[in-house]
Amino acid sequence: MSSVELRKVDKHYGSYHALKTVDLKIEKGEFVVMVGPSGCGKSTLLKTIAGLEAINSGQIVINGRDVTREEPGDRGIAMVFQSYALYPHMTVAENMGFGLRMAKRPRTEIEAAVKRAARILRLEEQLDKRPKQLSGGQRQRVAIGRAITRSPEVFLFDEPLSNLDAALRTQMRVELSGLHAQLGSTMIYVTHDQVEAMTMADRIVILNKGRIEQVGSPLELYANPANIFVAGFLGAPRMNFIEAKAVSVEESAVSVAAAGLPALSFGGIDVGGFSAGDTLTIGIRPEALHVEPSNRAMPVFSSRVRLVEQLGRETVLYVDASPLQATNSDSGTGNFTLQLNKVSAIGVGATLQVGFEIGDAYLFGPDGRTLTPRKPVAST
Amino acid sequence: MYPRPIPEDARVQRALYLGGVALVVILWLLPLLAVMLTSIRSNEELMAGNYWGWPQKFSLIENYKAVFEQTAMLRFFLNSLLITIPSVIGVLILSTLTGFVLSRYPFCGSNLIFALFVGGNFLPAQIMMIPVRDLMVRLGLYDTVYALIIFHIAFQTGFATLFMRNFIAALPGELFQAARAEGASPFQTLRHVVLPLVRPALAALAILTFTFVWNDYFWAIVLTQSDAVKPVTAGLNNLRGEWTSAWNIVSAATIFVALPPVVMFFMMQKHFVAGLTMGAVKG
Amino acid sequence: MSRLWRRNRHWVTPALFLLPGLILFGTVILAASIETVWISLHDWDGIGAKAWVGLANYVELVDDPQFYVSLKNNVIWLLIFMLAPPIGLALALIVNQRIRGMRFLKSLFFVPLVLATVTVGVVFGWVYDPNFGLLQLVFSAFGATAPALLSDETFVTFAVAAAALWPQIAFCMILFLAGLNSLNDDLIAAGRVDGARGWRMLRHVVLPQLSQVGFIAIAVTVIGALRSFDMIAVMTSGGPYGSSTVLAYQMYQESIFSYRFGYGAAIATVLFVIMIVFIAWYLNGLIKAERSNV
Repeated sequence: MSSVELRKVDKHYGSYHALKTVDLKIEKGEFVVMVGPSGCGKSTLLKTIAGLEAINSGQIVINGRDVTREEPGDRGIAMVFQSYALYPHMTVAENMGFGLRMAKRPRTEIEAAVKRAARILRLEEQLDKRPKQLSGGQRQRVAIGRAITRSPEVFLFDEPLSNLDAALRTQMRVELSGLHAQLGSTMIYVTHDQVEAMTMADRIVILNKGRIEQVGSPLELYANPANIFVAGFLGAPRMNFIEAKAVSVEESAVSVAAAGLPALSFGGIDVGGFSAGDTLTIGIRPEALHVEPSNRAMPVFSSRVRLVEQLGRETVLYVDASPLQATNSDSGTGNFTLQLNKVSAIGVGATLQVGFEIGDAYLFGPDGRTLTPRKPVAST
Repeated sequence: MYPRPIPEDARVQRALYLGGVALVVILWLLPLLAVMLTSIRSNEELMAGNYWGWPQKFSLIENYKAVFEQTAMLRFFLNSLLITIPSVIGVLILSTLTGFVLSRYPFCGSNLIFALFVGGNFLPAQIMMIPVRDLMVRLGLYDTVYALIIFHIAFQTGFATLFMRNFIAALPGELFQAARAEGASPFQTLRHVVLPLVRPALAALAILTFTFVWNDYFWAIVLTQSDAVKPVTAGLNNLRGEWTSAWNIVSAATIFVALPPVVMFFMMQKHFVAGLTMGAVKG
Repeated sequence: MSRLWRRNRHWVTPALFLLPGLILFGTVILAASIETVWISLHDWDGIGAKAWVGLANYVELVDDPQFYVSLKNNVIWLLIFMLAPPIGLALALIVNQRIRGMRFLKSLFFVPLVLATVTVGVVFGWVYDPNFGLLQLVFSAFGATAPALLSDETFVTFAVAAAALWPQIAFCMILFLAGLNSLNDDLIAAGRVDGARGWRMLRHVVLPQLSQVGFIAIAVTVIGALRSFDMIAVMTSGGPYGSSTVLAYQMYQESIFSYRFGYGAAIATVLFVIMIVFIAWYLNGLIKAERSNV
């Protein structure tokens, strides 16, 4: 039995279609991260699971119980908010025990639950303080503690780390993963930060314009994006995209041409849905581009370095490869992005030959669907 | 800051500025100061034509004593308290409820209801005078303090709803979502989340409503007749007709009427100014 | 607790919360205002039965010279009251300094606002008294005799409205002080860097930021002018010879003194229509402002 199940969930705000027939099953104990650009509907989806937003049609099932018409407090969920939503007039202990107090549970039970949560989150010293007297990280932990005391079946997190500074965010990320391992509860986590998604999730749900684009483990999504949106969304720096024309289409193979590149031939392609003359998109990740390749068989283009970013261990190059143009590039200039896993002495203005393995490249159809065959997923 | 602040070390400039502002204040309040001065003058002096000179004899106590003993002002004063205090309490209760619902439970038509509260609050009282008077006559409440209490609660609820709705709407929305997610019922949310957070707004609203109701004159003369229920404002105007030449007594009574709102204002000045500007500016 | 209640309380309780205020306000304020329109179509002495007369009250109103006096006086009130926002702004600019003691001085400026209008009426009755008033004091300083403003048909409305201006200026001043306190300091600093100062700073940097407060000050002042009643009742009772009445006062007089409730209601309806136009304009402006803030 799955822990949370969404069946054909639809949500409108007036004429705006916020969620479009969303279907999703989440298993017990899973850590699922919903990620997508702002306005994609991820927070709305979380709030419909919580019951804070009513849905127009569809069904929400938690632990086998249809809760579509239940109030949030009766769904067996607990939620952690972006702004923490701590009551300023209550102490930490009162904040954490609020839900149980509202349910009129005996005081001894409330105290025990608060103590337990405080121990897990190392908040024992802060119980009598007010939220104002706490640091950002402590407030975040109180918000999580408030969720824990209710011992919910499902934890919902709405961008809980976005108000913290970078160092604290990394620390809390580790703590949350640890908490998940310790409690073993189902957790649904919304973020716009792909690092959080990649590092914490058992499975990632990628949302775009109210629709689920793809669901899968982080590495699976990285290696095998279902479409050009997912390919472009996951990975930093972003995948490079090149517009190309399908020259000839044969059974399971296509040859494509782009100005500035030699003709390329892709095999193992699903050729339904397009024909010769259609516009396709080639995608190559920045780390799959090689400088001055020794392998003569690689497709190669020449380019000039426009900008070099030294990141310490890695080097990111932005190169101009005209007449070859990158579409939707990170820098918005038509430049290609290369990531080298070493400190490099290449300087601005240098002319480079850049090549890639045809097997590392992706090909996307006119509708954005991935055409190239599955790539092996790096084993963990 | 605009205009540019006068620097801390420019002492002479600061002193000149303060002196200038003080002079403007005196001119600004001159009419009131004149009345205050008259209220401590003796009747003989007024008869002798000394309206503006320095009083030769201070009759502060005599004059105010005369107000208490020879006029019904004390009775009017008590009536005003009997009318104002229940009205303020009623307004605070009703507007907390309406403001909470209109800010946190949007439903079809909630904006229209809110607009009715706001719009109705700006209607001149005279427009509803005839039906309200008729209603109170029919209910048998005409010429009782209840007529005034009911009307003031109803009328002030318009402004107060605007005020409370805006205040509660400005509180972080996630606090209310969290309460709901934690299983708090609307009543529990009201008690444990809204009430503790709206205390400053209630203080501001209390002083504003107190001032509005205390200072009302129109409804006092429309809904009451007898001295036994009349509030101070109507009483003062009667007094002025009866004691035409005793300006010192009338002045003392005037100061007496003005005292409660002025004292309240100075005691809760921050709340008053914040309330008035919040009510109007945040619209 | 029953399941039905738990599922529905999230809207039933709020409905119950809303009802008392809504019913009270709806019947005593809104329904009564509309009932006035109904009454205006009747001949009624306030006690006996109402007799339907259709638009007769309005027909009579059109030929009533007193109605035009009231209307004219309402316009005079409106025009004089329009002085309140600029004077209030000027005073606000004068006192907007953070110096020890300023808080107290500032609050003294607000005192007229908390006085009852009756009090203001009594105070200004004193000021205008031709024998010993403040005005007479000023005139006699120049060797002149003060006019008896409140018994002069030409000046009486101006005199009463000017007295009512006193608290209204204080109100506008409070609003503008709040506006000045919420100015964007970065914009002021940018203006200073760009060399704007004094009048040009006020005109190009400060006033645009005060436009919303200014709108509210004007709207509140218009509504205040149309509501004027207490001051007239206290200072002149509409006299001399009905020359200082406004619509609100004439309506009160016709109803309470002449027992012509239907005719009074007709005057109230005219005031109602004028008022609704202003209120609609005001609410519209507020809603626009609220939208642009989101």
